[in-house]
Amino acid sequence: MRDILKMITVLTLIGAASGMALSIIYEATKAPIEYQTIKFIKEPAVKKVLTGYDNDPILDRKKITIGEDERGRPIELIIFPAKKAGKTFAVALEGKGKGFAGLIGVMVGVSKDGKLLDIGITSHSETPGIGSRVAEASFTEKFKGLKAEAGVKIDSISGATYSSKGVIAAVNQAIGYVNNFKKEIF
Amino acid sequence: MSIKDEFTKGFWEVLPPFRLVLGLCPVLAVTTTGINGMGMGLATTFVLVFSNLFVSLLRRFIPNQVRIASFIVIIASFVVIVELVMQAYFYPLFKILGIFIPLIVVNCIILGRAEAFASKNGPIASLADGLGIGLGFTISLFVLGSIRELLGSGTLLEIPVMWSSFEPFAFMLKPPGAFVALGLLLALMNLITQVQARKGGVS
Repeated sequence: MRDILKMITVLTLIGAASGMALSIIYEATKAPIEYQTIKFIKEPAVKKVLTGYDNDPILDRKKITIGEDERGRPIELIIFPAKKAGKTFAVALEGKGKGFAGLIGVMVGVSKDGKLLDIGITSHSETPGIGSRVAEASFTEKFKGLKAEAGVKIDSISGATYSSKGVIAAVNQAIGYVNNFKKEIF
Repeated sequence: MSIKDEFTKGFWEVLPPFRLVLGLCPVLAVTTTGINGMGMGLATTFVLVFSNLFVSLLRRFIPNQVRIASFIVIIASFVVIVELVMQAYFYPLFKILGIFIPLIVVNCIILGRAEAFASKNGPIASLADGLGIGLGFTISLFVLGSIRELLGSGTLLEIPVMWSSFEPFAFMLKPPGAFVALGLLLALMNLITQVQARKGGVS
C-alpha cells in the first residue's frame, strides 16, 4: 500500500512540475512564435502587395474583430498597414476562398482610395502544374488597379476554373472586409 | 571512470549512430544538409543533457516500478521546451525539422542514457555523459549531413564548393542515399578501429 501511494505521489508531482514549467514557457514564447509565423508565412505576400511604405507592416499589424463564430468567440482579422510619414495609405489583409482542393489564402493589398494594388497567394493545396498556376504573376497581375468593390470579376485560367474562382472569391472576401470595416481599418 | 572519460566516450567508443546504431530515424531523415543535421543534433543534445540531469537528481525519489513513466514525462517536457523555443527563435530550422523535433521523445538514445546511466550515477557524471553523447550525436549528424550535401547538391554549409561542371548526385539527398552514406561511414569507422587494434597489438 505504501508503495502504491509513493508511486502515485511521485508521478503526480513530476507531472505537475512538468505542466507548470511548460505553461510558463508556453506563455513566454507565445508572442515570438506568433511573430515568426507571420514573418515567414505572411511577410513575403505582404511585401509583394504593398509598396512605397516606410514602416514595418508586420510590426504595425493590428487585429480587428469581424464577427463571432458559432460558440460566440470573436473572429479576428489581421490587418497589415502600409504607412508613409505615419499615415496609413494602404493595407494588406488576407481573404480565403474555396478552390478545387481546400481553401486558398490570398493576401490582398487595398489602397485608401479603394483600388486593388496587388494580390499574393499565401496558402493553397491546388493541383501542382494545373490549379497552382493561379499563384503565377500572369494571373495575379490581372487584379492590379481594379476597383475594390464587391463582385470583382476576372477571366479564369482555362483548365483551372475552380482554382481561379477560389482566388476571386478570396479577393472579394477581403474587399468585403475592407468596405464593411473601413473605419477600423484605415 | 572519471568525469572526463564519461564526457569523451561519446565521441568515439559509444558514438551513438555509428557505434550503438541507435536513434537512426532522425539520423537518416534530416541529414540532407550539414546545418540541418547540426540543428537536430543540438536539439537532441539539449534534451539529453537536461533529462540526464533531472533523472539523476530524482533517481532516489522515483520508485523502480514507475521509473520509465517518470523518465518519459521528464524527457517529453524538455522536448516540448525545445519545440517551443525553436519555433519562437529559429523558425526556418523548425520548419525543416518538422515532425522530427517532437519525435525526439521516442529517440532511444535519450531513454537509453536515462535508464542505463543517469538513473545509476550522480548529477555531474550524468551531465558529462549527456553532453558527450549529445555532442557526439551532433557531430555524427553534421558529418553525415555534410557528406550528403556535398555530393547531393555540391555545397558545403550552403556555399557552393564543387567545380562548375559538377553534376549534383541527387540520389544522395533521397532516403536511400542516407543509408548508403551511413553504411560507408560505418565501414570507414570499422576500418579505423581495425587498424588501431592492429597497431596496438590488440586483436
